[in-house]
Amino acid sequence: MSETRTKGIVVGACMLAAGIAYFYVTTGLPRRGAIDAAFFPYALAILMIVLGLLQVMASWRRSPEPADAASQDEIAKATLAADSEDPDIPEGAKPDYLSVVVSLCLIAGFTALMRPLSFPVAAALYLFLQFSILSPAGKPVPHVLHAVLAVLIATFVFLLFRYGFGLMLPAGPLTPYLR
Amino acid sequence: MDLFLIGLSNVFAPHVFLLITLGVVVGIIFGAIPGLTAVMAIALCLPMTYGLGPAEGMALLVALFVGATSGGLISAILLKIPGTPSSIATTFDGGPMMEKGEGAKALGIGIVFSFIGTVLSIGALMFIAPSLARVALSFGPHEYFAIAIFSLTLIATLSTGSMVKGIFSGVVGFAVSTVGIAPVDATRRFTFDVVELNAGFSILTVLVGMFAIAEVIKVAEAGRAGHNMTVTAPVMKGIRGFGFSMKEFVGQLPNAFRSSFIGIGIGILPGIGAGTSNILAYIVARNRSKTPEQFGKGSIEGVVAPETANNAGIGGAMIPLLTLGIPGDAVTAILLGGLMIHGIQPGPMLFITQGPLVYTIFAALLVSAFLMLIIEFYGLRVFVKLLAIPRHILLPVILVLCAVGAFGLSNRVFDVWTVLGFGVVGYAFVKGGIPTAPFIIGFILGPMAETNFRRALQLSQGDFTGFMTNPISGAFLGLALLSIGWQIWSGVRSARASPRL
Repeated sequence: MSETRTKGIVVGACMLAAGIAYFYVTTGLPRRGAIDAAFFPYALAILMIVLGLLQVMASWRRSPEPADAASQDEIAKATLAADSEDPDIPEGAKPDYLSVVVSLCLIAGFTALMRPLSFPVAAALYLFLQFSILSPAGKPVPHVLHAVLAVLIATFVFLLFRYGFGLMLPAGPLTPYLR
Repeated sequence: MDLFLIGLSNVFAPHVFLLITLGVVVGIIFGAIPGLTAVMAIALCLPMTYGLGPAEGMALLVALFVGATSGGLISAILLKIPGTPSSIATTFDGGPMMEKGEGAKALGIGIVFSFIGTVLSIGALMFIAPSLARVALSFGPHEYFAIAIFSLTLIATLSTGSMVKGIFSGVVGFAVSTVGIAPVDATRRFTFDVVELNAGFSILTVLVGMFAIAEVIKVAEAGRAGHNMTVTAPVMKGIRGFGFSMKEFVGQLPNAFRSSFIGIGIGILPGIGAGTSNILAYIVARNRSKTPEQFGKGSIEGVVAPETANNAGIGGAMIPLLTLGIPGDAVTAILLGGLMIHGIQPGPMLFITQGPLVYTIFAALLVSAFLMLIIEFYGLRVFVKLLAIPRHILLPVILVLCAVGAFGLSNRVFDVWTVLGFGVVGYAFVKGGIPTAPFIIGFILGPMAETNFRRALQLSQGDFTGFMTNPISGAFLGLALLSIGWQIWSGVRSARASPRL
């Protein structure tokens, strides 16, 4: 129970922080009268701050999730219940945040290396590593299969978009060898 | 009628027909595989439309929409997992039918009534949209501002979860849309001297990040503990036609018409799409049924209602998109993005300046519905096999395709970084229980609301009363207030009724 209350307060604090940050950057906008380019950003920032405060207060008073559920009709409850079912996470298993962080780093690496290494090379590297990280536990990771799949998929996507749809994906060092 | 014939002739051009067929097939696959959505399918195929004309591009995108909305029934029945939120209620009776050995019958019913729902909604779209567009031609900035605010509040208050979080999500979306050159006086806002931010964020990068990348990160959260599903193919031996009798079909028609009406009505309203209409149609069907006790145990009515209603939402959702330029959900938001990529601004003028294109979209929807019926039924065995594709292979490939789509917008790696950034925001929203749909709608309707607000004030020399004295504007703003008031009152009533925790 205390966890949902804490989570609600943390979410509210984040909402509040976002509102304050947006208000702060809005103060840097030039003013040209009451209704100008800063009018809506100020209104939105104030609204975000108020909503953040409301969320914190509501969570402080009671656990937000059961209260929210109580205020919903049958349809909303069923929709929420179905939304919360994630077939990927087996019952009882905890979220693997390390995997999330590593995956985000891999995506960032792929994006950063797209130009210097070329799209197909960066994509093949990303795919190989990401396949291995998400590969089901309890079985040996088929590295060779993953490597072959990564190279084939990256090459196919590159050629399809470059020659099929005329999209000039970064070719990097491969440029001299391509038409 | 002439315009519709032009639309049909455009659609039956071999290359367009091929694109629609491809769109329906890919859409069904995305709808069928849990975790992949219509938004993802359309976002991934958007880069393919860069090199196509608007008619060909939109034909492909609406075919994906039709295929993905219906495809959800396959996993809903075979796995008891809704492929998309629009097939949640199909699991309630489709799953038990599968367990009773009537999987093929359930699939046949789902496919046929999905088709009926789609066709009825296209009829409604073709009937209502041109008339509404004629009315909307007289709308000025006051009306557009009020409609944008009404849509925003409706989306924020009716989306699943708490109202505070829903409104917050919409407000953040609106705030993100303020990055770039401001409307009316062209002041640069929140660009921090980054040249790429002058034009603000592209709708495509925001959508792909919030929906597709966030989904990939969610899968990564399961780490190596995630497991793949085992799929049992339905018994097809001895099955004739679609697996149900003519008597059963005729007996379900009132249910189908009622559910279509619900689907179309909810589809028109911004914010509550097929994810809600299928459950509402299911509840109404159960309440009106002569055998409500059979619901949840494998009732045909329980499959007909949600599958008709979710597909009926397609035509309904296209009405505000095409006539007012207001997307009701994430799918229509990305369709709006597809139109804008081709330099087309949806709204009432679309029916005058781009009549053939509008009717090509109508014709493409209709042809997609027929193709969906045929492909889904005859290709069922193939789709069943596709459900077994390992997700640890599929989702990284989707991420690479998302990067291609983002890069293709302006040949900039900056857009790929933006997609990643919004992916993290989308994931944070999911973890914080904040709905993402209001964010997207806020992002799209924000500039519309701001531009029209400032134009309206310029027209009325700074007089705010114009928003209330204008009848249409006043009515929509009143409805917006009512919707918020109603939600607050419902919340207070429920809090009083439930015991203090």
